[in-house]
Amino acid sequence: MRFLRRALRLLSLVVLAVLGTSLLMYVAPGYFSDAREMDAAHAGVARADLVSLQAQQSTLPRLLRSEIHGWLRGDLGTSRQYGTPVSSLIAERSALSAKLLLSGVALGWLAALLLTLPLGMQRSSVPEVFLVCGTALLLAVPAGLLATLCMVTGHGGPVLVLALLVGVRDIKLLQRMARTAWAAPYILHARAQGISTWRILGIHVLASLRHDLLALAVMSFTLALSALVPVEVIFDHPGLGQLAWSAAMNRDLPVLTVVTAIMAMCVGLASLSAETRRAGAASCA
Amino acid sequence: MRLTMLGLIALLLGVAGWRLCTAPQGYATQDRMQISAPVQAAHPAGTDELGRDRAVRLSLALLLGVGGACCASALASFCTLLVSSFASFGPPWISRTLLYLSDLFMTLPWIFLLMLVRSALPLSLPPLQSGLLTFLLLGLLGIPVFLRLHHSRASALAASGWMLHAHATGLTLAQRLRSLLPHLRPLLLAQFLLYVPACLAAEANLGALGLGLSEPLPSLGTFIANLQSAALQAPSALVYLPIAVLVLVLLALELSLFGAES
Repeated sequence: MRFLRRALRLLSLVVLAVLGTSLLMYVAPGYFSDAREMDAAHAGVARADLVSLQAQQSTLPRLLRSEIHGWLRGDLGTSRQYGTPVSSLIAERSALSAKLLLSGVALGWLAALLLTLPLGMQRSSVPEVFLVCGTALLLAVPAGLLATLCMVTGHGGPVLVLALLVGVRDIKLLQRMARTAWAAPYILHARAQGISTWRILGIHVLASLRHDLLALAVMSFTLALSALVPVEVIFDHPGLGQLAWSAAMNRDLPVLTVVTAIMAMCVGLASLSAETRRAGAASCA
Repeated sequence: MRLTMLGLIALLLGVAGWRLCTAPQGYATQDRMQISAPVQAAHPAGTDELGRDRAVRLSLALLLGVGGACCASALASFCTLLVSSFASFGPPWISRTLLYLSDLFMTLPWIFLLMLVRSALPLSLPPLQSGLLTFLLLGLLGIPVFLRLHHSRASALAASGWMLHAHATGLTLAQRLRSLLPHLRPLLLAQFLLYVPACLAAEANLGALGLGLSEPLPSLGTFIANLQSAALQAPSALVYLPIAVLVLVLLALELSLFGAES
């Protein structure tokens, strides 16, 4: 019942987010304009299209009706800037963005886990100091700057940038979690009994951290999703982030509403899964 | 640690202010005979691809960036305090509505939301107005980020025994709100310190996307946006100077927070 309530709440938030985007774009300057008007060869056609668009979307209810009509038609409307069905644009680009996100998050997590889990059992704090200095420096570099530096120096790509952004933000939390887990009395007892470090790490430490790791994974995914737009725009990676930016700049409402719905749904589902897991863990306790 | 880092930031801002006041040319003055010039007496950090003094532009960008971020953070903190405090004393439906609206804004990834709202606003505004609009937007969009935390704290205080006693003894709403403030101050300070670097980074990201301050007003974001072309046209270490300053300021702010935590 609680899950159903949360799911309905998420759905209402997504619908409102889409409505809010439609309203924002409708009142934005330049909605009823077209770059082709500046080209004498195409200005006539562009103006005719705009007159037809204004007739269809002269008021906000009419605009929403034309959007819903596009969604019900199955192709999610037609893109104003590309003239193609939105569904085909989204399908192509979602695959690329999903691959980028998964690769970036997986690489970031791998690096963070490899760095922090062994450090958790170290007594010396010297390696930790180096790690803290490195992460502090990387945390001070915004996503757009990191992407630009990779472009300018010719080293690294969008996957590396996302991995660094995600990994650096997770390291601090993972470090604390690892230290607490390694300091648990039963782990100390296992080590005293001579059980191998890898066995302890794989079976006991990671198992005890699984709920926290899941919550952190959700947070990493949301962070990577947030950084998707500047990373894809700067690297000219033809994914959803670049499509969203291009749609916002060109007032391409059909594309923007769909991308907004996808982003809102992804973030909402991630939060819903984390809340459900937390509620489940709390009820078990 | 915190004082050292804040002192470093104050020093950088002081040097920037001094450079702005003593420079003979303005931030928009173009010297076409000195395009991409190296370090010299007249231009201690060289010139950019339009012959504008880099040190003057960087100084102004730093002052605008840090000043704007502080103002945006202060606005976000003040509005969050106001909204959460009033909501905690109001009927439950007000709290529920505000938290729902806050969740609505948090449903979208923050940079995506920022990009969406900023691109919907006029992009051809005069430079100063575009700057004011950018930082105003950052301030307003910071409210949902901290609202839930503030509201839970304010509600707990509003329901506490001493607050009920205050209400029973006849204190007005304004007096009760005023007595909340000292208890919310640590949270407000933490929010302010956390949000300033977030605003700086957000402005830099917006500039990289072409949604930052308009030319000829310099900003740390536009330096990032122009970095690719500047590095190709005049491969010199000086083109990275604004980037180094941005990273230094963000690092100092982050370490000042780390100092506060420890």
